[in-house]
Amino acid sequence: MKVPNKPILLVEDDQVDIMTVNRALKEIHVTNPVVSRENGEDALHYLQDPESEKPCIILLDLNMPIMNGIEFLQIVKHDGQLKRIPVVVLTTSEEQQDKVSSFNLGVAGYMAKPVDYRQFVEVMRSIDAYWTISEMP
Amino acid sequence: MTEHLLQGKSQEWLLESVADATIIFDRTGRIIFANPPVEQLFGYPRQELVGKSIEALLPEHFRQTHRDRIDDYFAKPSARALSTGIELLGLRQDGSEFPMDVSLSPLRLQQELLTMAMLHDTTPRKQAEDALRESEARLRAIFYTAVDGIVTIDECGLIQRFNPAAERLFGYIETEVIGRNVSILMPAPYQEAHDGYLARYLQSGEKKVIGIGREVVGQRKDGTTFPMDLAVSEMRQGERRMFTGTVRDISERKQAEEQRDCLLQELESANEELKNFAYVVSHDLKAPLRAISSLADWLATDYADKLDDEGKEHLRLLTSRVRRMDGLIDGILQYSRVGRVKEAVVAVNLDRVVREVLDSLAPPASITVSIDNPLPTIMSEPTRIQQVFQNLLSNAIKYMDKPAGEIHVACGAEGRHWKFSISDNGPGIKQQHFEKIFQLFQTLAPRDRVESSGVGLALVKKIVEMYGGQIRVDSTVGQGSTFFFTLPRASVTAISTKGTQA
Repeated sequence: MKVPNKPILLVEDDQVDIMTVNRALKEIHVTNPVVSRENGEDALHYLQDPESEKPCIILLDLNMPIMNGIEFLQIVKHDGQLKRIPVVVLTTSEEQQDKVSSFNLGVAGYMAKPVDYRQFVEVMRSIDAYWTISEMP
Repeated sequence: MTEHLLQGKSQEWLLESVADATIIFDRTGRIIFANPPVEQLFGYPRQELVGKSIEALLPEHFRQTHRDRIDDYFAKPSARALSTGIELLGLRQDGSEFPMDVSLSPLRLQQELLTMAMLHDTTPRKQAEDALRESEARLRAIFYTAVDGIVTIDECGLIQRFNPAAERLFGYIETEVIGRNVSILMPAPYQEAHDGYLARYLQSGEKKVIGIGREVVGQRKDGTTFPMDLAVSEMRQGERRMFTGTVRDISERKQAEEQRDCLLQELESANEELKNFAYVVSHDLKAPLRAISSLADWLATDYADKLDDEGKEHLRLLTSRVRRMDGLIDGILQYSRVGRVKEAVVAVNLDRVVREVLDSLAPPASITVSIDNPLPTIMSEPTRIQQVFQNLLSNAIKYMDKPAGEIHVACGAEGRHWKFSISDNGPGIKQQHFEKIFQLFQTLAPRDRVESSGVGLALVKKIVEMYGGQIRVDSTVGQGSTFFFTLPRASVTAISTKGTQA
């Protein structure tokens, strides 16, 4: 990541998936702290809390209880303070409708979670590489 | 002037010239004169008739009454015109009878009273009358025996006729409804509106029901209603207009239709549910599978120094089975997507499709694939049609067991379809498996030897059939297999399934 001290916000309800992301990030030597929230609502509370530090990127699952990823995007992308934070969707959904909705709401990327952990590490490596090169406002 | 011309002509000349058969007879009934048409009418030479009794020209059973009538007539002679005159039967010389109209005129000659009878054969008129009577009887029979209710109304909407079927249908008897407004046969609000409909039609001539027919609601005497088919025709009787309505109770048909719609609805929702089920299930199965995969990977990595060879082998098998399950779930997803997710139908050049598929499959040098004749361009969803060739060709390559593999792709027009064939000289398939290979998850080789999800041919079959084609296999064990499939030559569109927009 371009800014090494800003947190990465991971919105994910599956404990093993959280472990997977953490482990993969560690493996590719990403040192940013990872803040994980288990649904859209919790993540929103974090983002709206003036105490918490704004993340440099949001990794977002789509299928979650209480508030799913699309509902979360609908709020975040209409919030003047939050809409510039890049959101990368990390999901198992390959439904066209989910992809269309996500991009309509201005996501920066859409990655399918591979079943194979090694492939997952490669996905994380690409995300990191991209957001290391890319300028941010 | 007439008198002037006729002067000098004898009375006999006049009578001879009359076109109708004319007989003059005296008060005893003896014939004094008969003109030529009498000969034609009765078949006697007229000289033979003169002097005979008039009764010779009548059938036996008429003679006595006729005798009395003649007497009556001569007692009180007066002219009787044709048609209003007496209807009698005439008897010809050959014994045959015919109906005739007779007019009588008294003739006073000197002191004698004679009678001139003009006879008119009414056979043609009788025939026409009989025909009319018969056709009326036939119409009446139709009216009374018709299965459909028939109701006739006048221009004011008042009921004129009401047949037995209508009586059964509405529960009224004809005498109860004649002269009443036809709107009593309809429920509100049609009841109130009908006079308006009729008035508007009479004024504008714009036909809403007449000659068209439609489904309406009828109301019985007891107030219950029922759906009916109504057909109205218009008749003119001189200045007056009449309307005839034919009605049929369609309650049963309606009920059947509703039942069918209901069943269709159920079927559709069941189908929809099934489609979603496959998707949701496979989707939800993937998440835990991914966790298992990751955890196995970490165990193998983090505890590498603590695991013996057997433990490592078990973890390797675990990972490979996870991959296989992942493949199966992908297969279900792919299978459920056919028909569920729709693509735009475009012109697809199959020649190009097959070449692209072959490029991606990259068959080994030992296998030659030839396209025997140019393949057509069809209207289809590109991904689906590509999947068909991709699966069939990849199977042919994957299972090839000969040092020199040969695969042929061919196509020909067959009636309204294109018939494609993909043949190989591979291991072949036993006849008992011809059906089974097209079922989901059916493979003929152990999975450890050939990695296969068992989805490919099921997918191909589903796509081909969705487009209205058919697929079958022909094979000889040891010599090879040929897969035949057809696609309609007219625009290939998926009509049979409803799906979400891609």
